[in-house]
Amino acid sequence: MTGLLAVAGRTVRQVLPTKRLVGFGLLELAAVGVFVLSSLDRTPARVGEIEVTIVLTVFFPLVVPIVGLVLGAAALGDERRDRTLPFLVLRPLPRIGIAGAKLVGAAGAAVGLNLLGATGISLAAAAMGSTGPGPVPLVTGTILATVAYLAIFVPLGFLVERAVLAGLTFVFVFENGIAGALPGVAGLSAWRRGAAAYLDLAGEGWAKVIPEAVVGGLHGGVVGTTLEIVAAAAVGVLAVAAALRYRDLA
Amino acid sequence: MTDAAFVDEPTIVVDDVGKWFGSKVAVSGISCSFGPGVTGLLGPNGAGKTTLLRLLTGLLRPSQGRVTIFGLEPRRHPEVYRRIGLVPEEPGIHPDLSARAYVRYAATLSGTSADDAAVERALEAVDLLDVADRRLGTYSKGMTQRAKVAAALVADPDVLVLDEPLNGTDPVHRARLIDLFRDLGDAGKTIVVSSHVLEEVERMADRVLAVVDGRLAAAGTVAAIRRAMSDIPYRVRIAVDDPRRFAAALLEAGLVDGATVDDGAVQVETADLAALGRAVARTARELDVHLVEFRPEDASLESVFRYLVRRRR
Repeated sequence: MTGLLAVAGRTVRQVLPTKRLVGFGLLELAAVGVFVLSSLDRTPARVGEIEVTIVLTVFFPLVVPIVGLVLGAAALGDERRDRTLPFLVLRPLPRIGIAGAKLVGAAGAAVGLNLLGATGISLAAAAMGSTGPGPVPLVTGTILATVAYLAIFVPLGFLVERAVLAGLTFVFVFENGIAGALPGVAGLSAWRRGAAAYLDLAGEGWAKVIPEAVVGGLHGGVVGTTLEIVAAAAVGVLAVAAALRYRDLA
Repeated sequence: MTDAAFVDEPTIVVDDVGKWFGSKVAVSGISCSFGPGVTGLLGPNGAGKTTLLRLLTGLLRPSQGRVTIFGLEPRRHPEVYRRIGLVPEEPGIHPDLSARAYVRYAATLSGTSADDAAVERALEAVDLLDVADRRLGTYSKGMTQRAKVAAALVADPDVLVLDEPLNGTDPVHRARLIDLFRDLGDAGKTIVVSSHVLEEVERMADRVLAVVDGRLAAAGTVAAIRRAMSDIPYRVRIAVDDPRRFAAALLEAGLVDGATVDDGAVQVETADLAALGRAVARTARELDVHLVEFRPEDASLESVFRYLVRRRR
């Protein structure tokens, strides 16, 4: 157990070198800045609407995916690129434990970063008297969406050479393009699962702030979404564990 | 396969192992075993040494055959890694960690208590204590190699697999590492160390396996390998102004095993390079031909290995 905790802890530092921390920290704060600038001199009710709009059109579709996919792909992708994989895998640790520790570590880093943006938006909203949904829905949705990206991109980062490129294509072509136009496939969009949980906790009325034509279908309750994302993460861990056992590691 | 490829009390058994990547065969039909003491894995660059070491440790899956360490296949039984230390050829370090943190991390991952004494002992063994708090990213190649050796040693493994561990090390630390590996071997550890430098292996290992073109070319003591190498026919290029007459004279005198004339020169094969050298000058004088060049063409270690492979087939 100590070894796996060390792997998870090391992964946090590994996926978040200083440059990445600063860059993504600024990205999170940029979302907060957009919200603050858009809300200046507005009524509390209007600030609430702007809060939901920024969350659903900037934070969930852009900030959360980019942080999630880059850090997820780095969890094992950087080990492979830096050729540190032998140092990690030639250890008396269960393969599934290594896979789980990498996911937990990367998720810890990505969730932490995305919560910086979520907390910033919530604090700014409170400071401007927003009548918006408050911090709990946003924090919950952020955690779920981030973990959903990790469940996809930790295995992908290990199995595919250009996982970040594949991830950006997934986010900008499929999620923010195809899935927006075709509500039938919107359920395959990771950030929409988090956004749906956000709206589920925020209350029905807030869904009307953003027309479906803008973000596509957002369906699913927080409980069901949580279970699905936990299941996706478990599948991701199993996929990595199988790859560690059956693939060449050098 | 000669018995010299096997040991009486093996800790690592390699059974008809092959590895290919697409159509490229990296290792083919190797059977051998390793036991306590230092075994050198010798071969030219690209011979398949690194692939074989990766197969031994389970980093690569064999395309055929099987590798066991203490009777277990590492990939199926990762618990065996508690007893294995690897120093890979590539850097593979965490540049943001200090050597001390790196070695401590290795100890934690290996399931041994990361007590300070074990970490300090490992760093001391490779003479890195004074710079142990410096980031690995600031280390020279030789220092990085020593840090990797320390990380491999910290859990006190029974098997140590070292891929070109002396690369980049200065002469003083090279000698120190060689002594360290010998001491570990004398203490009953199984040490497998690869190198493409015969003299290096000679100083570390009593037993040598030579690998060429992915095949086991020779096995035995260093002395036996050296003897095998001394039997090799050398190919020599002799440029003269009348190559046909000169080739005929060499063949008639029984000085060479074969001769071909090509592009104004004679290509010959001989087992006694020194004798041929003496005879060539004399023959040139007797025939009154102008000797332009006398050049052994394949006296490299690589050609020696290739000869050993041909001889085994």
